[in-house]
Amino acid sequence: MIEYPLIFLAGVAGSWHCVGMCGGFACALGSDPRGGTATLVRHLTYNLGRVTTYCFIGGLVGFLAAGLCASGADASPTSGAQRILAITSGLLMVFIGLQFLGWLRRFHGPPGLGFGGGFLAGALRDLLRAPGPAAPLAFGVFNGFLPCPLVYAFAAQAAGSGGALPGLLVMLAFGLGTFPAMLLMGGVGGWLRRAGRASGERAILNFRWRQRGVAFAGAFIVVLGLITFARGVLPMSGHLHVL
Amino acid sequence: MSATAATSAFCSHCLLPIRGRGHDRQVQGEEHRFCCYGCCLAFQVAHGEGEESEAAWLLIRLGVGAFLAMNIMLFSLLLYSGTFDQADAGVRQVVHLVLWVLATPALLILGWPLFEEAGRAAADRCLTAATLISLGAGTAYGYSALAVVTGGAEVYFDTATMLLLLFTLGRYLEASGRARAMRDLAPMLAAEKEGVTVVEGGAELRLLARDVTTGMLVLVRPGERIAVDGVVVDGSSHVDEAVITGESRPVAKTPGAAVLAGSINHEGALLIRSSGAGTATRWARIARSVRQALAQPSDAQRLADRIAGAFVPIVLLLAGLTALFWAQGGPFEAALLTGLAVLVVACPCGLGLAGALATSLGIGRLARRGCLVRGGRVLETLAGVRVIAFDKTGTLTSGTTHVTGIVTDGTPADEVLRVAAGLERSSEHPLGRAIVTAARERGLRPMLAREARAVPGRGILGDAEAEPVAVGSPAWLAELGWPVPVELAQRARDLEAAGSNLACVGWAGQVRGVLAFGEALLPESRATVQALRGLGLHTVLLTGDRAEAADRIAAEVGVDGCEPGLSPEGKRASLKRWRDRRGPVAMVGDGLNDGPVLAAADVGIAVGSATDLARETAAIVLPQGGLRLLPWAIGLSWAVRRTVLTNLLWAFGYNSIGLGLAVSGHLQPVLAAVLMAGSSLLVVLNSLRLERFEPSDDPKLADAPASERRALQQHARPQASAPRPAA
Repeated sequence: MIEYPLIFLAGVAGSWHCVGMCGGFACALGSDPRGGTATLVRHLTYNLGRVTTYCFIGGLVGFLAAGLCASGADASPTSGAQRILAITSGLLMVFIGLQFLGWLRRFHGPPGLGFGGGFLAGALRDLLRAPGPAAPLAFGVFNGFLPCPLVYAFAAQAAGSGGALPGLLVMLAFGLGTFPAMLLMGGVGGWLRRAGRASGERAILNFRWRQRGVAFAGAFIVVLGLITFARGVLPMSGHLHVL
Repeated sequence: MSATAATSAFCSHCLLPIRGRGHDRQVQGEEHRFCCYGCCLAFQVAHGEGEESEAAWLLIRLGVGAFLAMNIMLFSLLLYSGTFDQADAGVRQVVHLVLWVLATPALLILGWPLFEEAGRAAADRCLTAATLISLGAGTAYGYSALAVVTGGAEVYFDTATMLLLLFTLGRYLEASGRARAMRDLAPMLAAEKEGVTVVEGGAELRLLARDVTTGMLVLVRPGERIAVDGVVVDGSSHVDEAVITGESRPVAKTPGAAVLAGSINHEGALLIRSSGAGTATRWARIARSVRQALAQPSDAQRLADRIAGAFVPIVLLLAGLTALFWAQGGPFEAALLTGLAVLVVACPCGLGLAGALATSLGIGRLARRGCLVRGGRVLETLAGVRVIAFDKTGTLTSGTTHVTGIVTDGTPADEVLRVAAGLERSSEHPLGRAIVTAARERGLRPMLAREARAVPGRGILGDAEAEPVAVGSPAWLAELGWPVPVELAQRARDLEAAGSNLACVGWAGQVRGVLAFGEALLPESRATVQALRGLGLHTVLLTGDRAEAADRIAAEVGVDGCEPGLSPEGKRASLKRWRDRRGPVAMVGDGLNDGPVLAAADVGIAVGSATDLARETAAIVLPQGGLRLLPWAIGLSWAVRRTVLTNLLWAFGYNSIGLGLAVSGHLQPVLAAVLMAGSSLLVVLNSLRLERFEPSDDPKLADAPASERRALQQHARPQASAPRPAA
């Protein structure tokens, strides 16, 4: 159970990474001319779409990974397949976490990603300009699929979590963790635009403490990766997997 | 073909020809027609601008659909993994109800375009992939809704929505991939509709290329394509003329230089005075040829289309039978799911794409280098060719006479040439001009000669440095009583036996040297023939020329066989013999004098004449000097054939294996949808590999091994290889 708050905190810390990448989107999504409440709704729908995608990814990989293991005879958390999965996920998380800390060279995704990425970028560009309450939702849904090492890290953990529900919860905790910063970015972006200070917007995105936040998130991911890893290596640590 | 007909015959997005009924839709006030819903979607995403764009609306649809489908999937995953197993039946009922509430809008949002498409197809009495998917999703939804009402144990809303979502997504990605593949062709298909900046009285106005007339001033900015033929009036730049000449190296253009429509302007702005109508350029003709070529499907493509057409009803029948079979002695749900999986997995989406995409890509690749192909079928035939027959003059040789050798009695060869050039300075005779050219190329200054007197059919007699000098036929110099040294006479006879024409050069009453004349090989001939032989093709030279001359050329280019002294009928008979002996024959000629012979070959290839393909007897036209592209073109035709084959194998193999799994009840419908979308995408990606098929930029040197390269460099300057006199 201690994992979920940890993941939430990792999400909060990691959202400094989000501020750099998706924060720009949140700013660009801007404010609703009908006032503050409408703006809030706009940004809530956007984040709802985004987090739904995360949850979907988490639930799916959790379910698939569990199904993969269950095809063996024993599906209990301490079974061989489960442990191998936990070890793999843990290592993957540590690997990504170390990249965040800047201790490993950045790994760029497989080349096939470029094609899908181009599609996503084009789709996002169009949706950003579209009016109506549904556009932010669709925007958030596509946004969630953007290649992002943070999402990969927690998807790895979701895969090692042993089922659809825990996988979903992992990603939900992470997604909720990124909520405050992203909402804030929407507000800050709107405020800065009203104040006509586009340079200020950029200054926030470039602040030095953003890097520290990212490093912080890396540390969280490494810790979570080690816990997941330990669950696979130490037979007695099954109790760490509470749910 | 008029421009309006072209827009309706080709999909506006992927530019593949539309077969059957297309989708008509207005995008930004312009009528467009698409081959499928995916292209319609992708086009609007790529081209839609402004807040009201329908592209954004379609994406919203996809996004909201995905949002609903993902929620449905999440709940269903929890159901499958037994999260609600401990809860009482009431909770499950509530979950089912929630799923229904989520699935209904998802079905409408995602499925509506597909239902429409299926409905249109049904009105035309045909069944398409959209029919299969609509039916599958509709059945899953209908059954699940019934289960909710009657309190059934299982619902399949996830299957219904994910099916639609994956199908839509797959089509969209496929369409994006196709459009990317057709990038090469887009400027050609739109050649006459390209925007042109015309400068008139100091003002700039935008016209379409087809409205440009002779004498207009056209401004071409850096990076733009030159849309009209003309002469540079102002500015300087480099241009890429690959699409006309096959040569991708940039060519410098300064005021006074001629530019060709279709070239791409590199770094500087050019002001061009148009020298003809925008519709009369070779570029516009290439564009028309490519449009016509694309509209002609290859045989493989036709076959695939027929099979795909017959496939859908069979699949429907099979799905029904499978469901019936499993319904006996089994739960109805399982039977329904199995039937659905069959329906989805057998959807012949990749099949229709397998041939069309690769063939169009091949035609586009060739057209980019100025090589025109009459259609997909020609490309197919070219890939099967076993023998390449060449015409000689104008194809392997330049068609003009050159000095190919000089033998002397010990006098330096340059001296002999200098004297001869002095006499022939103002001669109009072909041999005379060849002598002057040879002297100039060696950097010699012709000796000043006076009182040059030409004797028709014999030679020229004159005075230089107070001595009589003469150039003429050996017989004439013998008549003059000028003796030929014995050794020189022997070497001259050798040259004559090798098929050369001779001229003697003498002064002070004695013949000092003998010049040999012959047709010069084109610089790329030898490397091209060697490259073709390297591909395992049999090469022959068919010519009307006499045996000695033909044999000399044959030996120099290294063809496998040589048949001299043939009349056009003889050439046609020879082609037939080769076809009977070895298989399909391609004939390469200049397309001017050998039309009937080109038409008699399985594939007629014209080099350089390159006028209107519609009026050509040749099925393939290579650009001027484009003989060197022939091995590449053949290699490309092989690659296209290989790609079509692997695509078909994959599409069929995949469908068969998937079908086997589905019929035996081993495949989930959702998984089947994933595989189906992946299959189409794989066909696209496999075809896209053809994009990398480029000719090396200087194959006449790059493709030849080092020893041949030296020989080639010498052939490029025929005179340099002339035997030097023993000093």
